[in-house]
Amino acid sequence: MSITWTRRQRALRRFWADFRTHRAGVVGLAILVVAVVLALAAPLFIDEGVTNVVRGTGEKLAPPSLDDPLGTDESGRSVLLLIWWGSRTSLLIGFLAALLSMVIGTVLGIAAGHFRGWIGAVIMRITDWFLVLPSLVTALVLAAILGGSTATIVIAIGVTSWPSTARLIRAQTLAVEARPYIERSTALGAGHWHITTRHVLPNVAPLLLASTTLEVASAIVTESTLAFLGVSANKTSWGTMLRGSYDWGAATSGAWWYILLPGLCIVIVVLAFTLCGRALETVLNPRLRGATR
Amino acid sequence: MTVAQSATKAIDAVEERPARHGLVRYAAAKAGGALLSIAMVIVATFFLFRLLPGDPVRALAQGRNMTPEQLDLERRRLGLDRSLPEQFVHFVNQTVQFDLGTSYEYKRPVLDLIGERIGSTLLLTGTALVMAVSLGIWQGARAGWKPGSRFDRFSTAISLVLWSVPTFWLGLLLLMVFAAGIGPIPGLFPTRGIESVDAPDGFAYVLDVAKHMVLPCLTMVAVVYAQYLLVMRSSVLDEVGQDYVTTARAKGLRDDEIRRKHAVPNALLPTVTLVFMRIGFIVGGAVTVEAIFSWPGLGQLFYEAIRVPDFTLMQGTFLLITVSVILMNTLADVVYHVLDPRVRSA
Amino acid sequence: MGQALAGLAAFGMLAAGGVVGGALPAAQAADPATKVIRVGTTQAVDSMNPFLAVRLVTGSIHRWMYGFLTVPDSKTLQPSADLAESWTTSPDGLTWTFKIRAAKWSDGQPITAADAAWTFTKIMTDDGAKTGNGPAVENFASVTANGQDLTIKLKTPQASMLDNPVPILPKHVWEKVGDIAKYEADAYPAVTSGPYVAVEHKKDQYVKLQANPNYWRGRPKIDELQVIFYDNPAAAIVGLKKGDIDLIGRLSPPDFEALKGDENIVQWNTQGRRATYLQINHGATTSDDKPIGDGHPALKDQRVRQALHYAIDKQKLVDEVQNGLAVPADGSIVPPMYKDFFWQADGDQKVSYDVARANKILDDAGYKKGADGIRIMPDGSRKLQFRFSIHTDTPIEDKLAEYLTGWLKELGITLTTKRLDSSKFTEETGTTALFDIAISGWSVNPDPEEVLATHLCSRRPTASGEGGGTESFYCDPQYEQLYLQQLKELDRSKRADLIKQMEQRLYTDAPVIALYYPNDLEGYRKDRIASITPIPEEKGLLYGGSGYWPFYTIEAVSADGADGSAEDGGSNTGVIVGVAAGVVVLAAAGFFVARRRKGVADERE
Repeated sequence: MSITWTRRQRALRRFWADFRTHRAGVVGLAILVVAVVLALAAPLFIDEGVTNVVRGTGEKLAPPSLDDPLGTDESGRSVLLLIWWGSRTSLLIGFLAALLSMVIGTVLGIAAGHFRGWIGAVIMRITDWFLVLPSLVTALVLAAILGGSTATIVIAIGVTSWPSTARLIRAQTLAVEARPYIERSTALGAGHWHITTRHVLPNVAPLLLASTTLEVASAIVTESTLAFLGVSANKTSWGTMLRGSYDWGAATSGAWWYILLPGLCIVIVVLAFTLCGRALETVLNPRLRGATR
Repeated sequence: MTVAQSATKAIDAVEERPARHGLVRYAAAKAGGALLSIAMVIVATFFLFRLLPGDPVRALAQGRNMTPEQLDLERRRLGLDRSLPEQFVHFVNQTVQFDLGTSYEYKRPVLDLIGERIGSTLLLTGTALVMAVSLGIWQGARAGWKPGSRFDRFSTAISLVLWSVPTFWLGLLLLMVFAAGIGPIPGLFPTRGIESVDAPDGFAYVLDVAKHMVLPCLTMVAVVYAQYLLVMRSSVLDEVGQDYVTTARAKGLRDDEIRRKHAVPNALLPTVTLVFMRIGFIVGGAVTVEAIFSWPGLGQLFYEAIRVPDFTLMQGTFLLITVSVILMNTLADVVYHVLDPRVRSA
Repeated sequence: MGQALAGLAAFGMLAAGGVVGGALPAAQAADPATKVIRVGTTQAVDSMNPFLAVRLVTGSIHRWMYGFLTVPDSKTLQPSADLAESWTTSPDGLTWTFKIRAAKWSDGQPITAADAAWTFTKIMTDDGAKTGNGPAVENFASVTANGQDLTIKLKTPQASMLDNPVPILPKHVWEKVGDIAKYEADAYPAVTSGPYVAVEHKKDQYVKLQANPNYWRGRPKIDELQVIFYDNPAAAIVGLKKGDIDLIGRLSPPDFEALKGDENIVQWNTQGRRATYLQINHGATTSDDKPIGDGHPALKDQRVRQALHYAIDKQKLVDEVQNGLAVPADGSIVPPMYKDFFWQADGDQKVSYDVARANKILDDAGYKKGADGIRIMPDGSRKLQFRFSIHTDTPIEDKLAEYLTGWLKELGITLTTKRLDSSKFTEETGTTALFDIAISGWSVNPDPEEVLATHLCSRRPTASGEGGGTESFYCDPQYEQLYLQQLKELDRSKRADLIKQMEQRLYTDAPVIALYYPNDLEGYRKDRIASITPIPEEKGLLYGGSGYWPFYTIEAVSADGADGSAEDGGSNTGVIVGVAAGVVVLAAAGFFVARRRKGVADERE
């Protein structure tokens, strides 16, 4: 046990040392940590009340000022506080959708890699089928049919984005299972469950982390796009804020802060996830090593 | 799918390609696979749209004065009075005969509605795709050839930032800046549509359409070209380390020439696969771009179908988009098989 | 390098397309003397076939194209002669005889009663033709033509006969159509009898109409009317400001306010034709009087509904939810723009915001507050916790819900908001009655019969759950009685009295509570439109009103010199294009140089 522990610890240290050399990845990670901490800490300072249209204290569509540093929206609510509170929904949907996609992708990916033969073939067939579906269009149809709530948006995004994870994990599973010690393990009578959970999963886990990080980024963009097209979770998020700015004619009234700032937040956070994910991938996937020298 | 994953995936696809089959056998297998996929799409679509909460006919009657008899008539017309298995058989029957039903809202065959709009969408997405691919390949090749150079860092950074931008948001900003005009920037570009209402004839008409296409096209290209750039970059990177490059260098060939004549053609294949594999992605972008720039295409039709909501129209558009994406992919697979020297020589 | 060039070339071409395109005088009609007015709309045309069309934009276009039996008078909105010059009614009110005007279709053929008879008969006999105006002929027993005389026999008396919404179509053209349900009416120029003739329709883009020289009132004062579609409301506002369009109606309050400060734009703000109200589940029943749905029992009590009414500050709603661009409702479902039929409460009857009084009503009625401050039913069975159903993604309704929740809290009533997508919403509030309180609204025609009918017993869903189009599940003997009386009453002022009594009944019994009447908000360019007469002439609507008056009387700014076209800055455009082209060339050149340099530098490393 202690040997494994020190080995893992050493690996972790090595990983971190490696990761640190990717400046963009570190910057991305820093932004992410700040964003997540802010979102988690929001309830300590503000509450859902900041999204209440009746309690808006400022002028309507007022430009940034000392009272409202980022201006106000059409109901006199502070854009700053809305962005802060909205980050919770945006990040939550991003994380949950990525998680869902990761779970489906991992289970099917490992299964496809582990069970060769017809089971694997069928799973791959389904995966490839999902892969070619135009994901945004499918998510839109799903969300429109299921109706808007956090859960349906998460499902719509998760269900349409898992195939790439599944393919990645399958390839990785094939590689891991080709190693000699798996053969030894099988010879010693290890079952499917033992091999997949004890040997394959720990080996694909790091790469999974990278792919999930990237998945969060695209989920956040998808959420905002769905919200813009009229299917949303009915909670303040960056996407619904942008939809609001569109509905309330912010563009034509010159309320740039209402359009620009939630959008910038999406860009920054999504970029942070992307940078972080790419750095992780480079560190963890030897195939791509050297790709971002 | 994310940027980096698409890169990995395209490369994987190359390796997993069955090498020893004859072309005909290969094409037949692929066509069979595509047929199976299409069948799956049809079945899935049917059940997906039967999950709908509520009665579509009642939604249709909203805010309108319709007698119960009319509602009944509407329901019969849509075949909603039959049992589920009956509806299924009917649906499959119609779909394989290219009958996508009649739109509630427009009272016209969905296929006709699509036919009227598909041209504009192909024009927009086609142009955007060609531009995004050329831009991505060009920048990706240069960036991958000299990794870590200023060009590499700069172009990769820009493309990643643009990749993180929600398409609709970028479109709105471009519209507000370059169509409405802000401060010293004049509103040079039109605010809507594919052509002016009193469009001129001949070459002037082409220019008129081009002018209408600038902003929507720019929006789509900006958001999607990153993925082509990254794949191209990493496949060129793979080539840089190859023996033939070293040999060519030793022979004293100019660096630029090696890249152009040897590395880039070899690296192109994974990118080309990706282009076809991600057709669906471009289509998704078209929905928002067309809604923002009032572009009279399929995306706008789909957006309209969601807003009404007009479920037959939604279902028909969804079917058509998915099936065409599947066909594109299959075609790409076969073409790839013909083109790839590694597969052929194996 | 080859690819580099290709990439650049692609971009260059696009840029050039943009710049050169910009240089063209954008969208000019060929003949500079043509007077063109462009109307923007955010609704696409659904069908140019009047038998099928249901959208407002299409209804408007068809009003400009086709004559009707009668048209609302531009001043009083009372029915006045259109294609029917005059009419008589039999004593029992069942036979109407219209004398059709001896005028000509736009193709020169005479208009006869046969055209009208064919149109009505087509709707009566062909199910495929019922989509657009089916209910309008439901009460017709037969329609016959004799020369210019059109005789319509009714099943029961109907006072709203003179507000018939069916456009009369030319029989000689339309009788050749095979399956009317599939006909697109895409033969242009169309054959019409109204002020305009449709000459072109590009789907999801625009409709072009030209003045009808054969129009019996005389040719309109402009030559061409264009209806241009925008999918994006913000782009439409930009279009108006830029001069791509000259008029746009049906604006939302924020879009309307965005027009402020533009000296060339007139902000049009008048009374609207719509009422926004709350629909209350007062014990919904089916048409065979069986209870349906899960409405809260307390709402069956008229006193509770009355208390709710007292707890709503309508002025506050107007100010906050509608940006002040509405009129608080002291009446019912008919908005004040229809002076003849509008009823308004006064004196004791008038319910105005008074929380104390609302609380007192509830106290007196036995709804005591529990320990948590929430009232309970007199029998103690349930707390007064209501649901408020609204649509998803409608910020206005969200806001309304927040205010209502706040006010009801002061009564000791909990209100929770339930957001539903439109199909679910229609089902739950119109058929299955799975709601307590719901938002609703209706756009009213000059003859209010249609909206009044939405509160009839017969409109409730059938036992098998077929929706009949009820707006309230209301079924009240007194209301039914009045409805039947007004149907038969051909004297306009007596009928108006009956209709007002119906509104009063709705007001006091409160199955619906009117909140406000949103204003009609529009904008037009005064440098393009010299004059336009609203309907009604005093404080009326421009776009979306009934009748063709505004667009028949519209006059363009006269065409001396610049021909009043949108692009008054021709020389300006040249400068801009020059500058832009210069920038593009410079940028391209600079880019090339930079790349060359860097290419060399790279190779040296």
